[in-house]
Amino acid sequence: MDDKKKVQDISRRRFLRNIGVLGGAAALASCGANVTADDAEGRKSKRGTGEMTYRTNPNTGDTVSILGYGCMRLPTKKVDGDDVLDQETINELIDHALEHGVNYFDTSPAYCRGKSEEAVGIALSRHPRDSYYIATKLSNFGPDTWPRERSIQMFENSLKYLQTDYIDYLLLHAIGMGGMEAFNGRYIDNGILDYLVEQKRNGRIRNLGFSYHGDVAVFNHLLEMMDRGEIHWDFVQIQLNYIDWEHANEGNTDAVYLYGELQKRGIPAVIMEPLLGGRLAKVSKPVTKKMKERRPDDSVASWAFRYAGSPEGVLTVLSGMTYMDHLEDNLATYSPLEVLSEEEHDFLQRMAVEILLNDTIPCTDCKYCMPCPYGVNIPGIFAHYNKCINDDNVPRSSTDPHYAEARRAFLFGYDQSVPRLRQADRCIACGECLKECPQLIPIPERMAQISAYATQLRDNTL
Amino acid sequence: MLKYLRRIIAVLSIITLTLLFVDFTGTVAVHWAWLAKIQLVPALLAVNALAVVFLVVLTLIFGRLYCSVICPMGIFQDVVERFRHWFVPKKKKKLGLYRFEPERRVWRYTLLGLFVVLLIVGHLGLIATSLAGILDPYSAYGRIAGQFFVALWRSGALAVAETAASKGTYILAGYPPQWYFSLGVTIVAAITALIVMVMAWRTGRGYCNTICPVGTLLGLLSRYSLLKPVIDTDKCNRCGSCGRKCKAKCIDTKNHVIDYSRCVVCFDCINNCSQGAISYKIRRSEKHADAPATDPTGRRNFIIGTAVVAGTLAAKAGGKTGDGGFAPLKSKKTVPGTVHPVPAGAISIKHLRSHCTACQLCISECPNQVLRPSASFEAFMQPEMVFNSGYCHTDCNRCAEICPAGAIKPIDLTVKAVTKIGTAVVDPDICLSASQGVSCGSCSRYCPAEAIQMVETAEGTLRPVVDEVACIGCGSCEFHCPVGTVESTASNYPAIHVNAVGNHRQI
Repeated sequence: MDDKKKVQDISRRRFLRNIGVLGGAAALASCGANVTADDAEGRKSKRGTGEMTYRTNPNTGDTVSILGYGCMRLPTKKVDGDDVLDQETINELIDHALEHGVNYFDTSPAYCRGKSEEAVGIALSRHPRDSYYIATKLSNFGPDTWPRERSIQMFENSLKYLQTDYIDYLLLHAIGMGGMEAFNGRYIDNGILDYLVEQKRNGRIRNLGFSYHGDVAVFNHLLEMMDRGEIHWDFVQIQLNYIDWEHANEGNTDAVYLYGELQKRGIPAVIMEPLLGGRLAKVSKPVTKKMKERRPDDSVASWAFRYAGSPEGVLTVLSGMTYMDHLEDNLATYSPLEVLSEEEHDFLQRMAVEILLNDTIPCTDCKYCMPCPYGVNIPGIFAHYNKCINDDNVPRSSTDPHYAEARRAFLFGYDQSVPRLRQADRCIACGECLKECPQLIPIPERMAQISAYATQLRDNTL
Repeated sequence: MLKYLRRIIAVLSIITLTLLFVDFTGTVAVHWAWLAKIQLVPALLAVNALAVVFLVVLTLIFGRLYCSVICPMGIFQDVVERFRHWFVPKKKKKLGLYRFEPERRVWRYTLLGLFVVLLIVGHLGLIATSLAGILDPYSAYGRIAGQFFVALWRSGALAVAETAASKGTYILAGYPPQWYFSLGVTIVAAITALIVMVMAWRTGRGYCNTICPVGTLLGLLSRYSLLKPVIDTDKCNRCGSCGRKCKAKCIDTKNHVIDYSRCVVCFDCINNCSQGAISYKIRRSEKHADAPATDPTGRRNFIIGTAVVAGTLAAKAGGKTGDGGFAPLKSKKTVPGTVHPVPAGAISIKHLRSHCTACQLCISECPNQVLRPSASFEAFMQPEMVFNSGYCHTDCNRCAEICPAGAIKPIDLTVKAVTKIGTAVVDPDICLSASQGVSCGSCSRYCPAEAIQMVETAEGTLRPVVDEVACIGCGSCEFHCPVGTVESTASNYPAIHVNAVGNHRQI
């Protein structure tokens, strides 16, 4: 009896490790089985059968629709060979959105080659000003816009184009890009941050926040400013989706951290990139299948939107909807939002790993990382891995139709191209290579994934 | 007719058995491992009653059919002998290459006696049973296949797979483990191969009938077999052709007597007899021509012979000490005093040493490049785990599945995952993390039993610590440890290594 228990313990431990370290497909397969059981209990989608879900902004009491309209990808049409914004369609989309409860519209002076604010202003001004919230940004990226007057001009232009005398949500745009230097240049040295605070006091800005990409030091700095009482951030816009939750690209920060920091301070989060630039709307066939097995009638994108909208501290999730069917699908997902169960959250985390493994690694074979002090042939391993991805020789499960041959191709090529003692499992994760990689590839992390994967293939335990 | 049937079966048999050794994908083993398991000596050691009874009955009915269609070494000699035919003039071939010789009884029984003594002493755990295995024909063939044929096969398979891969197909692509070289096994295998081939070339089945203890043992039974080639003296015209063409040199044509203890029932004589005077049938009872006599000279010779051969063997093996044979590109040295673990199915080191005839089948099968023949005298040529090129994966039990001698017994994977075969030991003085503060932790990261943790030292660095109870001794930590594998590390030894536990137990 005792022994039997121990045996089970071991396999459970290994199972957990599989999820943790590599999110191996073995684990995926075993979980798949559990899920079907769950589904059999009759979890039915309530999707699109009710009212839009709303969240409350604790600072102003605004009731904000969980679906926010991102106005960066507005529809265009060809005029004299040029792509220009298709105002008519934009009006239709925005009317439809408002009609179905969307009340948050996010734009920027930088979007759509600078034409977004104007188009959004035209569309929204046809409706009562109190039926929606406008979010726009101070997008003074270029150093030529850093001087105080230029930046103020940009803010004033936003009001003009949006045909309003106040902005509901104003963001310092993409802080973190260019590090602390750019942040200071854009907002501190020119006194613009003080100017914006003043505008908030004057009522021309109702909520002041920032959006973050890039250097996490700037993100932390801004929150520390708030901790010291120097400023109050009414909201913060972050990138959050089931990939970025724990697997943000190098150069970005895991959403689990960003969201956690905001939660600590009670700052509502506005979510951008819930679909990761559309990547999460179209995923690989096996991932699609697993999603459809659980919720046959729901779109792949709906999983990403439910993921982004589920955390309670999320005020709204921005979606750059170009087409009416995107809008309708999102409206269905959020009317009402069915919050993810913990188990579904875990499921999407596993899908994230699977999706990441399906990606080629952006290694350019520059060999700056070489020589690895521990003998690992880093570019060789990546080259082989990418070749296998491109040749469709990275099976996800032993039930894949071409599993046997793909397995042979992967392992044979691996041993051929990289000697055993230079393969991924020789990586000790010292991180020396990270300083050298111009592509910012998280090399040790990738090595761990590839070595775990190769071991599963060798042992035939995928 | 019978001869051709025998030939077909023999060819299939040796090909399959050889494939069993050379096939690194494990495909052949799935259906054909039984071919190794019905080999007499392994079956005896494994107390595989079914196989032993089958072989005894087979021999009592058909004679030494074992030697002509089951024993790979027997068939191997026939193959060599076949080659010889290409080199002799037609005339001589027609005449026949052999002539009757009396049995070399002293040699036969001395070596059988020696073999039995070695086997018993080995079984008692006093010496490695593999020393007896030197004489076992199956194990001897295994060593030849394991060292030489495997190397040929793998390089051939690699070339084919590379060509196929360049044409975009991976159907032929295996992922052969690197071929390993073992000095001890190579020497023993080369000497055996040389002796066997020379004897086969010159004396036909001389090896089987003079040296091979299995041949002698089965000869004791085959004298009394039910079916035998029998000469019909009425039809016989005394041409002597059968005797001159008998590889076993066991047909005394002058007296019309066949020495059934040496006849390997190849049926050549039946085919060759122009008069149809020889047939394979139940021999009517008659007084045995050469009943085994017990003469005092023989016994004395036997004892002397045993002592001499044993002494020679001991001297030869004793000269090979230390880590002989493995020379991968960058090889860690074995930490002095380490006892290498043996596979989980072996129950204990002692069990393996007393049962293994060193046929090398497990070593050829091991997909993880972890089993290697030992160079030490006490485990001579027997498998042990060396973690230079790999470690023992918890999801693999191929060695246990295939071992014909019961030295590594079948073990369930779930049991294997919790069977302790060794314990990892850390040397913090050379550990990169503990001594230099390098962010490593490979041993901990790759431990399948999660038995290794990184804890802070007084100096503020992290050092691995091993939970001795949870550690199963798979060697993953030792394999993954960069110390001793990379040139830049001063030490030639890994900073963590596995020391065997004598008796395996479940954690």
